[in-house]
Amino acid sequence: MQIVIDGKNITADHGLTILEIAKKEGIHIPTLCFMEKLLPIGSCRMCVVEVEGYENPVTACNTPAVDGMVIRTNTEKIRNMRKDILRFLLINHPLDCPICDKGGECLLQDLVYEYNVDVQPYTIKAPLKEYKEYSTPAIKYHPNRCVMCSRCIRTCREVVGRNVLDIVGNGFDARVEPVNPDRCIACGECLSACPVGALTETVSPTKGRIWQIKRVPTVCAYCGVGCSLELNVLDNKIIKVTTDVNAGMNKGVLCAKGRFGYEFVNSPERLTKPLIRKGNELVETTWDEALSFVASKLTEIKNKYGSDSIAGLASARCTNEDNYLFQKFIRAVIGTNNVDHCARL
Amino acid sequence: MSEQKKYMTLNMGPQHPATHGVLKVILELEGEVIHRAIPVIGHLHRGVEKLGESKTYIQNIVYTDRLDYTSAMINNLAYCLAVEKLMNIEVPERAKVIRVIMSELSRIAAHLIWLATHALDIGAMTLYFYCFREREKILDMWEMVSGQRLTPSYIRIGGLLADLPEGFMDKLKEFVDTFDAHVDEYDKLLSKNPIWLARTKDIGIISAEDAISWGLTGPALRGSGVKFDYRKAQPYCGYEEYEFDVPVGSKGDNYDRYLVRMEELRQSNRILKQAIKRLPEGPIKAHVPEIVFPDKDLVLKNIEALIHQFKIGCGGFTVPKGEVYASVENAKGELGFYIVSDGSSMPYRFRIKSSCFVNLSALPEIVKGSMIADVVAVIGSIDIVLGEIDR
Repeated sequence: MQIVIDGKNITADHGLTILEIAKKEGIHIPTLCFMEKLLPIGSCRMCVVEVEGYENPVTACNTPAVDGMVIRTNTEKIRNMRKDILRFLLINHPLDCPICDKGGECLLQDLVYEYNVDVQPYTIKAPLKEYKEYSTPAIKYHPNRCVMCSRCIRTCREVVGRNVLDIVGNGFDARVEPVNPDRCIACGECLSACPVGALTETVSPTKGRIWQIKRVPTVCAYCGVGCSLELNVLDNKIIKVTTDVNAGMNKGVLCAKGRFGYEFVNSPERLTKPLIRKGNELVETTWDEALSFVASKLTEIKNKYGSDSIAGLASARCTNEDNYLFQKFIRAVIGTNNVDHCARL
Repeated sequence: MSEQKKYMTLNMGPQHPATHGVLKVILELEGEVIHRAIPVIGHLHRGVEKLGESKTYIQNIVYTDRLDYTSAMINNLAYCLAVEKLMNIEVPERAKVIRVIMSELSRIAAHLIWLATHALDIGAMTLYFYCFREREKILDMWEMVSGQRLTPSYIRIGGLLADLPEGFMDKLKEFVDTFDAHVDEYDKLLSKNPIWLARTKDIGIISAEDAISWGLTGPALRGSGVKFDYRKAQPYCGYEEYEFDVPVGSKGDNYDRYLVRMEELRQSNRILKQAIKRLPEGPIKAHVPEIVFPDKDLVLKNIEALIHQFKIGCGGFTVPKGEVYASVENAKGELGFYIVSDGSSMPYRFRIKSSCFVNLSALPEIVKGSMIADVVAVIGSIDIVLGEIDR
């Protein structure tokens, strides 16, 4: 199949959309409501392109390319249409950039800057929308910042399959609301899908701008799936967990534990020294003392009651190597098969 | 070895009140006569040129203030002109005239410091207070426009920080109207003073030919009789539309350079008078929303302006690939910026051509064979600022 995009002759496979072909060829078409893992709905209209012979511009994200199409992605007319779309989105947008968590990595900001939307010819009198409780306390919904792209709703439906969210109301009253809050598993997929600052996380009290934080790629230690994580680190403290769409087998998807369970890392309550119970109190001690105490007690119990009187319970939070060594220790040294780990519980 | 032994080596500076900053000069003396002078620089090195490569184009403006800190506004201008040239930005007429006003005020402010300290170095203390009386008025005006007295960063890429505040023009007019009389005062105190003449006439001579081969610019060059001024040779900010003379000396001694700068004070005032008449109404920033900050009152009311302010302020703007050199005539000579852009929001290479550095390099040649007391007189007369030499 032969098509032409911006004067470039392209041979493409059948069944691909205009946007997919343009992306492969390195031709930039702006999008807002589009996400690779979701079905394209062409709702935001940012990706409009002109096709020769078509009366009206079409949305690139959900229009399949047809043999012989001649497409223009960046004409004056198209740029003006995109500008107008951005103006509509900004018409009632609060002046939140300086206090918004998303400032600096906000798709709306980027598009407004890219398209130089610097004047607002339209006005509207609409009352500010009220804050309401979201389906999980880990996330806050800012209705006035919302651009109604429905990425959160579609992610919940298509990726997670929980169907918690939907748009409630219409026109200027429209807002995203958890219509089935009981089904929410607090995975935060909606949070990661939001292109603007309409959904923000409330777990870490510390916030940092994108250019202040360091993103450290790592693997989640919560369970055996081993999702790829990016720890957002500010001043050597984890303040947020994100994940790269292109990394690992989780492809940008995380669960509640992986996304929100990071506060323990910097908790002052973590044990850093071994404790031994003396009388009714746990007393800090050295590793040497603790290990020899455990070794002598285990030997004593094994000699007195036999190997099967001992069981080992490992932590799923340890590395595979650690857990392998632990079961080896229980089986070979202690001599019992009574070994398990907490993820099975 | 044996020949070197008969010279006495004397370290002058870097802690010396009359080396105009942290300049050290190693002097090899034969009695009181200078056999060799070696300037040692670098005590004020901040690595501005290297820093420039890791700062956005907007952030770099504040570093230019700190080059020749006696006339910060011209430095801002030279840098902004270079970036504007690279990006093809045309600045509105009102901004151009205000830039000329600020340039000439800077020149006067710098020359007043030169006159005050140069005279003080040689022993004429009274003048110091006269000069600082007038310089204070200029600093007041800078404070009015930018809130800063020494490092205003008022001139920005694409225009200016803000429009002139209310009352500024009255203050400027008052200054311009009285300034010529003040220059006459300085003139009366020094120009025919026998001690002054003894310390400056026929001292520190550099011929026109030598001055050109050393690459001197500014009053140090014009004192030797070479009529060269960047405002005339490569006009910027519409300097070609102003009437002013380029004063030159004849012999190239301390006194000639003194006379040149005294006349430049008057000529700068002449340009100021024309600029006041010329100043048109209109915008003070080019309309290039992706580069120039929106007005602050818009930012507080308008989300489009707020987003632009956020994006430009936090990430800077990208500059197309290319390289550029632009220079202006500052109080000391040619101040030029050479910028290479790799298409990102920070310069790939950021170099500063400093007239002070070049002019100082001629010092050993000028003081060779003269008396030790003349070193201070010559340093004062070639007028250096270490902030620009060391960078």
